[in-house]
Amino acid sequence: MNQFIGSRALPDLVYHRPGTMDDLLGLVKGIEGEYRVVAGCTDFIPAIRGGKWRFADGINVVDIRGVKALSGIREEKGEIVMGAATRLSDILVSPVIREKAPVLADAVSQMASPQVRNTATVGGNLCMASPAADTAPPLLVLDAKVAWRTADGEETTPLNKFFLGPGATVLPPRSVLTEIRFPAPGPDEAARRTRMGQRTAFVCSIISVAVWLRGGPEKIEAARIAMGAVAPTPILITAAESVLIGKKPNEATLAEAAKTAASNIAPIDDLRATADYRKSLAETLTRRLLAACVGDLA
Amino acid sequence: MKITVHYTINSKACDLEVDAGETLLEALRNRLKLTSVHRSCEEGECGACTVLLNGEPVNSCLMLAAAADGADILTTEGLMRGDQRHPIMDAFVDLHGMQCGFCTPGLLMTGYSLVRKANGGDLDEATIRQSIEGNLCRCTGYMNIVKAIQEAKRRKDAGDWW
Ligand SMILES: Cc1cc2nc3c(=O)[nH]c(=O)nc-3n(C[C@H](O)[C@H](O)[C@H](O)COP(=O)(O)OP(=O)(O)OC[C@H]3O[C@@H](n4cnc5c(N)ncnc54)[C@H](O)[C@@H]3O)c2cc1C
Ligand code: FES
Ligand code: FES
Repeated sequence: MNQFIGSRALPDLVYHRPGTMDDLLGLVKGIEGEYRVVAGCTDFIPAIRGGKWRFADGINVVDIRGVKALSGIREEKGEIVMGAATRLSDILVSPVIREKAPVLADAVSQMASPQVRNTATVGGNLCMASPAADTAPPLLVLDAKVAWRTADGEETTPLNKFFLGPGATVLPPRSVLTEIRFPAPGPDEAARRTRMGQRTAFVCSIISVAVWLRGGPEKIEAARIAMGAVAPTPILITAAESVLIGKKPNEATLAEAAKTAASNIAPIDDLRATADYRKSLAETLTRRLLAACVGDLA
Repeated sequence: MKITVHYTINSKACDLEVDAGETLLEALRNRLKLTSVHRSCEEGECGACTVLLNGEPVNSCLMLAAAADGADILTTEGLMRGDQRHPIMDAFVDLHGMQCGFCTPGLLMTGYSLVRKANGGDLDEATIRQSIEGNLCRCTGYMNIVKAIQEAKRRKDAGDWW
């Protein structure tokens, strides 16, 4: 094949596209040599092109999008269930998500570009385990669980326990992430998110924040705050919960919770922003989001 | 590894042998000589390689040719009717929606997909700008691109469209 001048060609690939879950799991179990399970390839292709991942001896690529059961969004026994290979653009237009979890649609609407969203998947975003993964903060505050399968069985873990570090998750070798599920929020719950980037569109987040509250104008019964791009992984910040729970959500309480949340992160200086700026944003954005949620509950 | 894929490209069925490590962009440009599909960043950042896959804009540089097996693909070549330019192309010409032209095929595909699906009255500027967020243009400053897409919608509403 004549490559383009200056093009960084992909290495030798062996491409697999199993059509059923059993074929997929069997294939992954028996595969020899390097392999990657891929979905949209929007992280995979740039990673090998850019040299972040190198496969000198070639690589097996197992495309999971031939398995229909891995895509789609449904409501089931009070839970919202998304297949791991559900595309970001499908989340955006899903009536279930728009009605029950608009906070997730809101986050997805600011991710990447329309073109990337038409192929990128939610499972790929989580498995890539970027500290800035934009689906993570809303899913963390929605109390999401993730499920994976191997040829030998199935396991589920809270998303909060899924990330280990940049690019690292608890997924065991030869497993495939299958589902992301979270309880369908009720009328006494509110969730909001925001992100800060150099532009509004098509940038990696400097910081992203999501908050969730249950209760009413007189008392907060439960609270969750999550952030992206402020730690080696997207994180749930539990320290601020006790500041909120059982309290009347007045300005002072919300301000104290925001301050506690910001003092429990350890962001870094990088190309996009300084640690100090991130801390300052963490406090301000959390306070604003909490106030907005209280408004939603009223 | 060689793989035989089947595409419908610009309404024509086509069987093609591709390398497993080949992107859709490479297959379209190198094998099928569909050179309207421009290559630039090859990492999803610029949109110059945008094609419609089953009616939706995607970056052909971020997709394996093998993974597009079975797809219906539309490139700018497919917008032409013989020698006749598509009304959205005319709108770009008439309203100066391009300067160097490098970004133009990608913007035409994104714009075409937006206009084709749009109902109701004029497209507002915010909607157009959001839908072209994935297409970079280093020349025009986008003003005339937005106007050209708006004009394309008007031409569609006036019955000038395919
Ligand atoms: C131009 C551009 C802009 C972007 N902007 C954003 C942004 O704003 N916010 C953001 O968060 N991300 C962004 N991304 C990153 C990327 O698009 C997302 O992370 C996307 O959701 C990845 O999904 P995918 O299906 O393409 O993953 P793939 O590339 O297919 O896979 C990514 C990784 O996850 C693994 N994997 C995927 N699915 C599974 C599974 N089911 N089981 C086990 N392992 C699996 C793969 O092995 C691989 O390591 C951007 C990417 C590009 C190219
Ligand atoms: S070449 Fe595909 S997005 Fe730039
Ligand atoms: S016209 Fe030159 S890049 Fe858009």
